[in-house]
Amino acid sequence: MNDVNPFRRLRAVPEEQVATPESFLAAAALGDERAFGDLYDSLAATVHGVVVRVVRDPAIAQEVTQEVFVELWRLAPRFDPARGSAAGWASTIAHRRAVDRVRSEQARRTREEVDASQRSVPYDEVVEEVEDRADKSLVAASLDALTEHQREAVSLAYYGGHTYKEVAVLLDVPEGTVKTRIRDGLIKLRDQFGVTT
Amino acid sequence: MTQDLHHLAAAYALDALEPDERAAFEAHYPTCDICSAEVSDFRETAAVLAADAAVPPPSDLKASVMAEISRTRQLSPRRGDAVELDRVRGRRGRVLRAVAAVAAAVVLVVGTTVITRSDDDRFAPLLEAVDATFVTLEGDAGSIEAVWSDELDQVLVQATSLADPGEGLTYALWSLRDGEASPAGLFAPDADGSLAELLDVDDLDPAAWGVTIEPESGSPQPTGEVLFVGEV
Repeated sequence: MNDVNPFRRLRAVPEEQVATPESFLAAAALGDERAFGDLYDSLAATVHGVVVRVVRDPAIAQEVTQEVFVELWRLAPRFDPARGSAAGWASTIAHRRAVDRVRSEQARRTREEVDASQRSVPYDEVVEEVEDRADKSLVAASLDALTEHQREAVSLAYYGGHTYKEVAVLLDVPEGTVKTRIRDGLIKLRDQFGVTT
Repeated sequence: MTQDLHHLAAAYALDALEPDERAAFEAHYPTCDICSAEVSDFRETAAVLAADAAVPPPSDLKASVMAEISRTRQLSPRRGDAVELDRVRGRRGRVLRAVAAVAAAVVLVVGTTVITRSDDDRFAPLLEAVDATFVTLEGDAGSIEAVWSDELDQVLVQATSLADPGEGLTYALWSLRDGEASPAGLFAPDADGSLAELLDVDDLDPAAWGVTIEPESGSPQPTGEVLFVGEV
């Protein structure tokens, strides 16, 4: 006999009190730190996952994830549920923060490298990176509905944190083509996920 | 340009635009029903991709997040800007009322082209800040672009032809909220009227920016007429 009956527990909670990230966020917006702790518990893996994918370095990722949650706390009073879900809001902020961190780091390194030796990235490294990212993208089952080209472009942009211009260079296709693949890919996913805001 | 902008919502939602395109699109989409709907939808779509890649952070991270937020001030909720400005107007008189009406119509539409063309490295962190807010301050004598990051506590003011404030005088930027003005720094254009100045500010939460002319030493509160204003 199993004591931990999830259905019994669920029934014990009246429907109007069911806790969602949105309800935690609404309470956190009023300064409720405990509710923010609940929000953290419900969104930490999503936020950290996207940060890790983009930033890659575990120590920096941890730092960025912490910054993201402090930002969510600060901005909580400005969250507008009419404009999207709490998870959507949090992952938007997380992705932006992660990408900006990587790009400012890249800009710094590029300046140093160019100053030092005018070196460019060897072709092999580029290919390796593309293959590496393409492999990882297979893990994301949600991308299955896309064509291989769309999947590659969406994955390099979102999980790889690359701009569409960088994706164009990595894949050696025109920028306009990448833009179209990203757009078509996202439209397909939007329809597949049934997203409407 | 606008034609192109309409197709950038997907790349924008994936943070896949170059900085100048990002700034241009951010100036555009809040004014475009189609683009803002697409941005919302694509962001929710991206959230599914994020959830798909979920990885729990190290277990000790929660404690440091909770410690950090307990000493972090939250922003105030965004209120009806009209109410905010009405209070400011009541205090500052008719000139501001007229100027504010103009500003309300053009804020964010004029965009950020002047600023984003800047290749000054000093401004890059601010222009790329996650919370950078671009506002055009309008006045009878032209406009001033302001970029603010609460995170960095910096405001960049930029203009191309700003009149000399006069002997012994300077321009002053004010953060306006609830009918109160908080000083946000002093600035003056170069001899040719061009302006690009980074102001370090202290924990501001503006509903609008206003600019007055003040004595060179600054003033604790605005004493001159509000010459430029823009809602944040």
